Amino acid sequence: MGKRLLSVAVVGLLVAVLGGGCSAKKKGTQAGTEGSGVGEEGLAGGGSLEQYKAGTLGSGEQGPLQDVHFAFDSFELDESGRGVLRENGNWLKDHARAKVEVEGHCDERGTVEYNLALGAKRARAAKDYLVTLGISPDHLTTISYGEELPLCHEHTEECWAKNRRAHFVVVSE
Amino acid sequence: MNRLWLWAAVVASVLGIHPRMSAAQMKGSIFGPGTRSYPVAVALLKNLSGPTAADVATRFADIVGRDLTLSGYFKILDRSAYIEKSEASGYTPDSINFDSWSVIGALALVKGAYTLQGDNLTLEVRLFDVYQRRQLSGRRYHGPVSELRRMANKFADEIIGQFTGDRGPFDSRFAFVSTRDGKFKEIYVMSPDEGDLQQITRNQTLNVSPSWSPDSRSLLYTSYKRRNPDLFLIDLISGRETLLSQRPGLNLGAKMSPDGTKIAVTVEDDGNADVVLLDRSGKVIRRLTDSWAIDVSPSWSPDGKQIAFCSNRAGGPQIYVISADGGDARRITFSGNYNTSPAWSPKGDLIAYVSRSEGEFNVFTVKVDGSAPRQLTQAAGNNEDPSWGPDGRYMVFSSSRTGRRKLFITDVTGGSQVQLTHGGGDDTSPAWSRWLE
Repeated sequence: MGKRLLSVAVVGLLVAVLGGGCSAKKKGTQAGTEGSGVGEEGLAGGGSLEQYKAGTLGSGEQGPLQDVHFAFDSFELDESGRGVLRENGNWLKDHARAKVEVEGHCDERGTVEYNLALGAKRARAAKDYLVTLGISPDHLTTISYGEELPLCHEHTEECWAKNRRAHFVVVSE
Repeated sequence: MNRLWLWAAVVASVLGIHPRMSAAQMKGSIFGPGTRSYPVAVALLKNLSGPTAADVATRFADIVGRDLTLSGYFKILDRSAYIEKSEASGYTPDSINFDSWSVIGALALVKGAYTLQGDNLTLEVRLFDVYQRRQLSGRRYHGPVSELRRMANKFADEIIGQFTGDRGPFDSRFAFVSTRDGKFKEIYVMSPDEGDLQQITRNQTLNVSPSWSPDSRSLLYTSYKRRNPDLFLIDLISGRETLLSQRPGLNLGAKMSPDGTKIAVTVEDDGNADVVLLDRSGKVIRRLTDSWAIDVSPSWSPDGKQIAFCSNRAGGPQIYVISADGGDARRITFSGNYNTSPAWSPKGDLIAYVSRSEGEFNVFTVKVDGSAPRQLTQAAGNNEDPSWGPDGRYMVFSSSRTGRRKLFITDVTGGSQVQLTHGGGDDTSPAWSRWLE
């Protein structure tokens, strides 16, 4: 399993380096084909944990769907967040078969366990709003990474604001 | 994975103390808050078994010295200053030149001897009051030489008990999360003197929230190694691992009940974290909380009847207590708008927690009825993840005061805070086991 993981990580890295603008879509496709073969690990290719393993997290291509941001210790969607979700919803309507994993993330401040629960709330809030826009809940899964996978590593409000996010990973199209 | 670590039986017996020399009258009389550098000499053990390559004498003295330093109460006198040499002197009250110890400033003295036959180690160790020239305590330990560390930790606990009235906490283990071997959070176990470090997980994903079974034999932890944050139980002696809870979403922050029969854990329903009780096979016994709010981080009372946890049902996160049978939760923290990470003292009287104020996180304690909140850390980076030692007097926590996150030990007053882990990476989420036997 270790070698398999490594090779997937290397492929992911190559795709990210060489693929340029198409990298997100390629990674999404790869996830769809890798999913069954990798078995229990269930790599989603473009997910934040897989990007972290590959050393590409926060280093570039966001994918077709944009992050939604939150205030400290909050899982409420503000007007800007709802605007992003409406755009993401439009993409999802154009790609009606797409399956998306919604990741909830927090900034580094606060407690690991509480932040994992807060990340779950953030992912759920984003998913629920997409469902109210008409996206099928069957096409949306959620996972929380709490404060574990920051995009940005400085101890500044600017950095923290980037890390407090719901992130959308196209698992298959 | 084979046996990760094993503690064999360490047989301890009490060595005779002269009836007139009551150690009891000493207890608690020397130490109080503020006296924290009682000078102790820890002499090398005398070798009674002929030439040997084993560094028993040095290792024993180093580990005892390290434990006593961690306790915050003692100053270990530099070995190079010792005048009386172990190999040329005795270790009973009438064969020790106490003047040679008092002249270098020692108020207490540890002396003893060892016999090593094959793998079998016998230690005879004594604690003396240098000024009164009398033995305070004596112990004989017998076991495999691989258990030398435990013998030293046990005798350090005995010394602390002699001077403070309460047994020390160091015959125990820490589990913690660390990035010391790379960018992934893996779980490690080590002895309180920073020895016997063992890496428990090697899955290169995320591993969080280790906690001990009450018999100090197994660890509960949450891992993303199957992608979903699932709950695992690993037996550290057999190496056998069990997947205990794999509900979609979080299976997080599990704590075994003091009798070892139940597990309190946070699970997720539709994005909302609640605390449930599982049996040892992972089956849900009952749901403890069922609110729209975040409920996380359960911590058992030592009698197993109540559970403290963190909830944001009143807005920000606060600490609550609920009966293990369910019912209404009682809020016990009221200052500040961010209180998390409850840890119930094994003595039962206090709950430690983390509180945020003015952008910093600090360790506090509060009485179980919610009175007398007390701040233990301040102006020293962020201080989080308190976990009590087996004695209910010491706590381990993580702090960013030196830059990277490292583990520190404090006593319940906050008066002595000593760095426990060193080296690279971040060390977080410590869990202190019960005493090992």
